[in-house]
Amino acid sequence: MAVVRLPAILAREAGGRNAFETVAPTLRAALSELPVADLVFDPRGELRPLVNVFVDGEDARTELDAPLGAGAEVRVVAAVAGG
Amino acid sequence: MARAVLVGTKKGLFFVRDGAVEGPELPGWSVNHAVRDPRSGTIYAATNHVVFGNTVHRSADDGSTWERAEPIELDGLELGETWHVEPGRADEPERLYLGAVPGVLLRSDDGGRTWQSVRGLTDHPTRERWQPGFGGMCCHSIQLDPDDDARMYVAISAAGTFRTDDGGETWAPMNRNVAADFHPEVYPEVGQCVHKLLLHPARPERLWQQNHCGVYRSDDRGETWNRLDGNGLPSAFGFPIALHPHDPDVAYVVPEDGDRRLTSDGRLGVYRTTDGGASWQLHADGLPERAWSVVLREGMAWDEQGPVLGTQAGSVWSLEQGRWHELARDLPPILSVELA
Repeated sequence: MAVVRLPAILAREAGGRNAFETVAPTLRAALSELPVADLVFDPRGELRPLVNVFVDGEDARTELDAPLGAGAEVRVVAAVAGG
Repeated sequence: MARAVLVGTKKGLFFVRDGAVEGPELPGWSVNHAVRDPRSGTIYAATNHVVFGNTVHRSADDGSTWERAEPIELDGLELGETWHVEPGRADEPERLYLGAVPGVLLRSDDGGRTWQSVRGLTDHPTRERWQPGFGGMCCHSIQLDPDDDARMYVAISAAGTFRTDDGGETWAPMNRNVAADFHPEVYPEVGQCVHKLLLHPARPERLWQQNHCGVYRSDDRGETWNRLDGNGLPSAFGFPIALHPHDPDVAYVVPEDGDRRLTSDGRLGVYRTTDGGASWQLHADGLPERAWSVVLREGMAWDEQGPVLGTQAGSVWSLEQGRWHELARDLPPILSVELA
């Protein structure tokens, strides 16, 4: 069972939950089943440009379709942007 | 319920009531506009986030909990910032309108859960001549004619004012005599940079607009416009305009130096007309005399108790018995105020 951890702003949008367990086969599938998937992906289904995703501490922005291992920890992080 | 000022800021939504500041709600979201629907009491907020996109939130419990709209999809266009939520008519309790980038009007018939593009405006034949202003090509003003269920107006920067007489099926440009000094043709059919458009509820044929290029009034539903600056205003440029709820001759504007985007004469100057715009007088007792903080397009509102404004420096001011009083200060930059 992998787990997806959300930043505070997305956790509020997800009813206060900051972690979601998943058995999704890929990172893209795991993110797509989140209740905040529309905030993570743009209307074209692409990861929003300033959303970063890490799997077990490694940048996975370009690895969305790679298999997601059992026990993996996924972190969704807003890029440092804005003011 | 006591009067509440809904204050949309770059860092969430605040409530100012009974001398106290509550919030922020929706922390992290930039709230271009928030309004309480007088039909249901639900609060709607046009919310935008630099990372997570653009949407609308609603709260049926006075801001304690919020729901986000379903993803808003535009056929062939990409949604940008959401700018203004306008509740529909009393006999259509679930209908609301949303103005957004890129120059689009959306309609909801389920209380703001889902939104659909009003195609007559999205597919307008003049769209290729519209241009984005600094805030994007934003549809920021939505006004419903209280006497005619089929008539409404929108204003888009920089496309101009448009009117529908058939419930949104077709839209006619309403920009005659309105200047576009930045345009090769000074009086084009479309392309004007309206900053805020309001209809007077007691005289629905009367419209006012603060434009990039002047203050204007129309007494014939937007068919023709009369320019009203140059008679007491220090500048033709500004963003907000506020109308007295009953007297159609009374309006307030906050001029800016158009070249520098700063307050005119280096003061927070609110100007009032009581004669339909024939003359304007500074009406700023209580406001700081040295200030460079401006008021944005949604930054003024007016109810039975008088006008309220919010500044980019995070202050909320209320006019009471002829003098402005500071209701709140040191909030994040204020994008909108509404009264509820």
